[in-house]
Order: sequence, then structure tokens, then C-alpha cells
Amino acid sequence: MDIKRSEVYRYLGYGRNKPDEKVYEAVEECIDLVVKNSDMKSIYRIFDLNVEGSTIIIDNSFKTESKNLSKNLTGCEKIVLFGATLGTGVDMLIKKYSKLDMSYAVIIQAAAATVIEEYCDICQKEIENKLAAENKFIRPRFSPGYGDFSINHQKEIINMLDCPRKIGLMLTESLMLVPSKSVTAVMGISSEKQDCHIKGCEECEKLDCKYRRS
Amino acid sequence: MSILDILGKRIVFFDGGTGTLLQEKGLQAGEIPELWNINRADDVVDIHKKYFEAGADIVLANTFGGNGIKLHDTNKTVEEIVTAAINNVNKAKEESGIKDRPLFCALDMGPTGKLLKPMGDLDFDDAYEAFKQMAICGEKAGADLILIETMSDTYELKSAVLAAKENTNLPVFATVVFDEKGKLLTGGNVKAVVAMLEGLGVDALGINCGLGPVQMKDIALEILKEASIPVIVNPNAGLPRNENGKTVYDVTPEKFSDIMKEIAEAGAWVIGGCCGTTPEHIKLLKQKCGNLEPLKIEPKNKTIVTSYARAVEINDIPVIIGERINPTGKSRFKQALRENDIDYILREGFAQQKNGAHILDVNVGLPDINEVTMIEAVTKELQSVIDLPLQIDTSNTEAMEKALRHYNGKAMINSVNGKKESMEAVFPLVKKYGGVVVGLTLDESGIPETAEERFNVAKKIVETAKSYGIDKKDIVIDVLCMTVSSDNKSAMVTLDALKMVKERLGVRTILGVSNISFGLPQREIINSNFYTMALMAGLDCAIINPASEGMMKAYYSYKALAGKDENCVEYIEKYSGEQSKAPVKQQNTGEMTLGETIEKGFKEQAGAIALEMTKTMKPLDIINSELIPALDKVGKGFEKGTIFLPQLLMSAEAAKAAFESVKTAMDKVGEVQEKKGKVILATVKGDIHDIGKNIVKVLLENYSFEVYDLGKDVPIELVVETAIKEDVKLVGLSALMTTTVTSMEETIKALREKKPDCKVMVGGAVLTQEYADMIKADHYSKDAMASVYYAEKVLCSCDCCK
Repeated sequence: MDIKRSEVYRYLGYGRNKPDEKVYEAVEECIDLVVKNSDMKSIYRIFDLNVEGSTIIIDNSFKTESKNLSKNLTGCEKIVLFGATLGTGVDMLIKKYSKLDMSYAVIIQAAAATVIEEYCDICQKEIENKLAAENKFIRPRFSPGYGDFSINHQKEIINMLDCPRKIGLMLTESLMLVPSKSVTAVMGISSEKQDCHIKGCEECEKLDCKYRRS
Repeated sequence: MSILDILGKRIVFFDGGTGTLLQEKGLQAGEIPELWNINRADDVVDIHKKYFEAGADIVLANTFGGNGIKLHDTNKTVEEIVTAAINNVNKAKEESGIKDRPLFCALDMGPTGKLLKPMGDLDFDDAYEAFKQMAICGEKAGADLILIETMSDTYELKSAVLAAKENTNLPVFATVVFDEKGKLLTGGNVKAVVAMLEGLGVDALGINCGLGPVQMKDIALEILKEASIPVIVNPNAGLPRNENGKTVYDVTPEKFSDIMKEIAEAGAWVIGGCCGTTPEHIKLLKQKCGNLEPLKIEPKNKTIVTSYARAVEINDIPVIIGERINPTGKSRFKQALRENDIDYILREGFAQQKNGAHILDVNVGLPDINEVTMIEAVTKELQSVIDLPLQIDTSNTEAMEKALRHYNGKAMINSVNGKKESMEAVFPLVKKYGGVVVGLTLDESGIPETAEERFNVAKKIVETAKSYGIDKKDIVIDVLCMTVSSDNKSAMVTLDALKMVKERLGVRTILGVSNISFGLPQREIINSNFYTMALMAGLDCAIINPASEGMMKAYYSYKALAGKDENCVEYIEKYSGEQSKAPVKQQNTGEMTLGETIEKGFKEQAGAIALEMTKTMKPLDIINSELIPALDKVGKGFEKGTIFLPQLLMSAEAAKAAFESVKTAMDKVGEVQEKKGKVILATVKGDIHDIGKNIVKVLLENYSFEVYDLGKDVPIELVVETAIKEDVKLVGLSALMTTTVTSMEETIKALREKKPDCKVMVGGAVLTQEYADMIKADHYSKDAMASVYYAEKVLCSCDCCK
């Protein structure tokens, strides 16, 4: 797995700045720790999709309104529901270092955020390749909480994929994903190729975000 | 007739998948299958009937997710669902017309779908309540047994087993999901799961779901190697595959039953199927295995303690139990207990793990603290960050029960002794929760002087335990060691007694080794040599300080010399590097001042230099002339964007180490550093991400604020109560998500009402100034330094802070 150091530094607030040697070494050590303590698991299923205006209906049962997502899904006839997690080991690691050394805790947290995204990219690529064989293409992955796609929809995605049982990914009462380094997302499937390389960050309307990818 | 009457007489058959068949009948993804018990009862009865006809002895009621947590958003109660589900199975029994064999209905209890604390937000006791409600309804509705299945977390599993056993008289079976590596989602392995379940007293245990028979076979064999009770194997029909958006399973009934036959021949007594298996699978299974003679179960006699993730077997390789989590004779530890400073206790735990402990002893008894609540909190916290098994060390039975009940795994219990009263109090707990109990060879007449008499007490303990149904494999005997300084025969008496109990009773042994040298100078010399002698005499577990070089040297040398360290691998790994190890990348800090080590974030050096400085300088001068200016400089750099968060925190940690050194010096001369004021920190109710709050905590402590860290997912009332009780004038609240900002707003509102003179600062990923204004916070902290500056503004009267 190619873990982009630049992403780790972005999460740590470095922007374009270079870290000093001490931080550089700590980052390398923490990436190693994260990879060793991860138990990566993912699941996806393809469902029927209906988009009318900003109304999105998945599998005839999961219905939602979202302008941003419906735009992302224009021209799609099916949709992938997707869930992935690094497992509880990474959460324990962060907790452990929160007691031992906070500087490590924040670096581990940034490294883990990078690893889960990287892992999702790999999973997405696999789905992409599989669908390519049928001349189908997928859209950028879109997660609950992006734009006006409500975070409440974590619930439907988790239930429809049976995530707790299949990959140990669950929700808290307040709709947080546990283990914390986890992702749920949807990806539209269409017969036409569209640029699939734009990711969530650039799509976001919060232009002054200090973590924004430039 | 009970299922237990048949078990072992012939192979018993479970049914196969239900969900798969419901899907064929139209169950949608995400739909709650348990509702079909009422809305589509005929379809459910039909599936059950097909399984009975195919040859299943036990059919699972359609109650997998029928707990109050999963049914929460439906308009049906647990009782309605469970009763309807059991009735459906009983109807199927009748309609099948089968009379030549007894048919059984199992209440099926799957996981709640929530992750338990500390990683998730479901409390152990709430999980217990949910399972309890199901179990009671199930028994009332006429279930013949309870199957707890598809569990992937030992903690949730334990809550379900306790709920089933404490509230019903039904037989309890339990199966878990292992992945191909033989691990649960939460990390537990076969050994750990089997030991815990046997300790809890289930009637049969095993594996289901997750894998097909091919991948499951090896794991099933491993379970059979560990278990001393009947084993259940219920695989899927292969690994799931995505086909046109549908999940499909490929293993045919022929292949399925062939492999399952091998598993039954290897010793599984109860077999069936899970996802993707059909009545056809069960039919062939029965045909091929119906006439097999169940293999006799051999008791394994292994002495095993576990955590949620690992099992430690007390066998011929000696085990080290870390003794440092204990206030006896440690003023710093006592202080930590009184101040509820659990982090300090956790750091003692980390250090011992690093130094080679296999199990950690946990003793938090102090006359002036509430041991019952403290031991529960400490065991839970330790288990959330350290995967070593724990030894619950208390003479308070209530505290012992509290800790054992909430312990994730099969604990070691320290201790019981030969007194009637002690055995009557402790053995029922060992029987109920499982555990390996330490038996001290003393009784009403005190500690016997001779080896023979100590042996007799040990014998009494082992025999009495047996009358409670506790096997001697779950007892380790401590023949006690008394200091040689007052009786020069005491060491030999101890060793003689040790040999006697091992040879004649066949039990494992344990000693608190360092008592031997009490009252003597340079105790490590005597301790380590006595340790070697005890190991030679057959000592299995030693309660020692793993930071003691001498003891660890004795340990590794003994293992190498006694042929317990193959090719001396461990010894070489431990000691070969020591001489030649070049100081790798050791920074040249020789020339640095304390201020510079802090600015550059060199933690160890900062602590060491500060300690050195206390010899010549006044503690307060060190703080004011070196520590504070360095911290200020780093803080300013962070604000300007020339220093980044990791560096800020490295400096903060270095400063913390320096403060510890200075504090030690101040304690010695009885000086106290004045605190700038009290601040409460909390991650709000519903929010479980506390990294931001923890960053703020480190910095505030650096700047001498007294921080009350209430943790994460903090109830509103607790924030308010603490603010009132401690008269706190500043509260810092953190929230990560939009969904939890609401509870931040409510917390602020409650504070305004009940503690109006208290200011509130807020921070967290989703917050902005605008948001903070909207929820009426006094201050929005854009980062950790901003919190420090605001705290100074609110709480400090001195000029330097204004």
C-alpha cells in the first residue's frame, strides 16, 4: 500500500510546509504502527437506482433528497453501496498513545485517516476493474455528510450492507462510525465514462478549510 | 426431554440459513427479518418445517436481531416478536408430523449491532439488559434452549451468556465468528474464546458464519483441541460472492456435507449450517453424519487466563505477573488513586507490558477510596488500552464481583484462602464468572510453619473448590513466602511446600517472590536468587516487578538453562544487543539547555536535565526561567504558523516530563506549585472522539491549570454537577460532528441555568465562530493554544497573563 506522506502532513496541518527530521521520523514510525494494527475489511453491494430531480431512490426502499449527490449520479442506472474499516485496533492505538504521548496520538490519527482513504481507493479500483469488464463505469465515491447528502444516511448504508455482521462496522446513537477509522459511501454506475478522479475534498464548498487539498 | 439428554449420544443437527430463504421469499436488504414472524408468519413456519423435515433436531426461531436495541425503531415489542417467533417454530414442529425424534426450538440471540464501550457507545450493562429481556421472553414462550450466535466481540458475548444463564433455566449454547486467521473482529483467538466460554459455564460452544466449511475446518479442529465441552460447527455455504448485486454462496450440499462429515468425525457433536445453506444441505448432512458415533470428549486440563484478545496459558513455561499496580508502599500511586488519576495507573501498566509482564496484577485498595467503583473503572480502562490478562487483586468480595462481572475475558483472581469464610465468598464468584483463582495456604489458624501443613491447606482449598464445581486446573496455589531475615528456614519451607503441592496435588503454583527479602539490604540480590531457586522447584507464576533487571535476568537465564527457550532465542534477543547497541540516532543534547530540549521536544532529556537542575536551583525558578519561556516561544511559533501541531505537542510532552521532575523535587521540600485555576474538559454527550480534548488537556496542564477531565460521551448532568461541586469557572467542551453539537448546546444551556458564573469555551472539527455564537458559547477556540490564552484571560489575575 502506497501511503501518501503528503496526505498525512496535510491532516497534521502542514499545508505545503516540510516537517523537521524529528517529526518526519515520528510519522514514519506511526504509519508503521497503524498498518500493523489495522485489520482492513470492506464490503459492497450493487443496487437499483432511480434519480428524479434531486430525489434519489435506491433499491426501491432507501429514498433521499440531495442536490449534490443527484448531480454526481446523473446518468447512472445502478449504485454501489460501500463500507470499509480499519478495525478497532487503530482506535486502541490512538487511545493508548493519548495516555503516553499526545504528539504520537495526533500523528497516528493523521496516518490512520490517510490509510483508510488509501484503502478505500484500492477497493474502489477493484470495483472499477470488475465493472469495466461489463463496460460499466463508476462515479467518484460520495459519503453521507458530503454537501447536502445527510449524515443520517449512514444508517441505511450500514443496514443494507449488514455492516455490523459482515465487517464489524457499526454506528453509535449519534451516528458516528465505530471503529472510528471507517468510511461509508455510495458510487454511481453508468454506461458512459465520466471523469472519476475528482474526490470529495475538492467538491466541498467549505473553501476556507485549512485541510483543503490545493 | 432436554437437548442435553441427547448431546453426546448421537450427532445433533441444527438447521441451516434462514435469511437466505427469507430473501428468496422477498425480504429486502435492510428490512428487519424478525417482523416477518408476525407479518409473514406462514412463510416463516414453512421454512422451519422444511428444516425439521430435512432432519434438523434444533430449529432456530427467527429472533437473531430480536433484541430491544435492534427493534427500537419498529412498532413491535421484544415480547411480541419473540413470542410469535417461538410459536412459529412450535407450529412447524406440529405440522411436520415428526414423532420418531424429539424436536427442539432454540431462541436465537445474535449481536445487538452496536459496539460496546470503550470503543463504541453501548454499555455492557445495557447489552446485558437487552439480552435478558429476550431470554426471559424466550423461555416464557416455550423455547427449549438458547443459542447465542454470530458473536464477534467477547464482551458482548459475555453479557449475553450472563443474561441467559442468570435469568433462565434453559441450556445455553454459544457460537462465534472467526475469520480465516482464527480471530474475532475484536481480536480474540480460539484459546481465549474457549477459555472464557467454558469459564462462564455454557453447555456447548463453537463457531458459525463468516466462513465456509473448507476454511472453517482448521479452526474447528483448533476449537476441538482446546474445548472440554461439546463443540458446535455451523458454517456458511462457502464464502459470499457478489453476483449482479446479489450475495451468492457456492458450496453445494454434496461438498458441504462431505467436509462437515470430516469435522464431525474429528469430534464436533452439533452441526448445521448458516448463511446460504438450505434444507437440502441439512438433509445430506444428516444422511452422511446421522449414524456417526460422537467422539468422546477428553478434558484438556489447561490452566488459562485471557483478555479480550489473548490467552495466557500457565504451563511449563513460567509466567510473569506484574506487581506494580498496587498502592502498598507507594505514595505516588496512592496520590494517583485519591486524585482519580487513572492515566498514571495506565502508564504503570504500559511500562510493565513493555518490560515483559504476561499478566498484570490489579490492586487499588486504599482505606479512603471506594474500592468497588475504582476497581471497575481501572479494569475497564486497562482493558481498553492493554491486551494483557489481568489478575483481580482484592479482599473486598463486592469489588471482586464488580471487577469480574465487567472483565472482558477470563480473569485471574487474587485470592482465596483456606478460611471457610473466604472460600464461601470467593468460590461462587469463580464458578459464575470463570477465572483462575490463587489459593493462599493459610486458614483460621494462620500461616502454617511447616511445608506439610501448608500442603494440607492447599489440599483443603482444592477439595472445597471441587465441591463448587471448580476444577483444579483453575486453581494456582501460593504456598507463601516469608522473609528470611526473621526466620532463616523460611525459604526452604516455602520451596518444600511448593514441590509438595505440585507433585501431590498436580496444581500450578504462584509466589509473591520479593517478600523473601523484606528487611534486608539490596533486596534484588536475594530476590533474584530465590526466584531462580523457586523456578527450579517448579514455580509457575511469579508476582514480581518486571522493571527489575535482576529478576528478569534470573527469568531469562532460567528459561535458557532449563531448556524452555529453544536455541536460547529469547535470551539472545534480550541480551545480545545490549553491549553492542550503538546509540542510534541519539541526538546530541549534551549542550542543550532545558529550554532548548523543550522547544525541540526531547522528552527524556527534558526530564533528566530538569532533575539535574533541581539539585542547584529552586523549583519555581526552573519553572519561571526555563520552562514557561520555552513553552511561550513554542506557542507563539504555533500561532504564527512556523511550528506545527506535532511539534507543539512534542514540546508539551517534554515540558510535562520536566514538570514531573520539578514536582518530585517540590514534594521533597513540601513546596506546592500554585495552580492558575480549575478547568473542566469534556467531549460532549454522544461524541466519542476525544483527541482534540486531549490535546487541549496536555497544554492546559503545561500552563499549570488544574484540569478535570471528564472524558468522552459525558452526560450533561456530570458537567454541571462537577462545575458546581468544584466551583469551576471555565468549562471547555469539544464536539466532532454536527450531530453532537446539539448536545453541546444543551450542556451550555444547563450550565447557564445552574452555574451562571461559569464561562464556556468550545472547539472541535465542525465548529466555527458562527456556530459557537449560535449555541451561545462564550468563546470559540480555533485551536489548542487559543484555549490556553482564553483560560488565562478568564482565570488569571496576574499581569503576565492578561
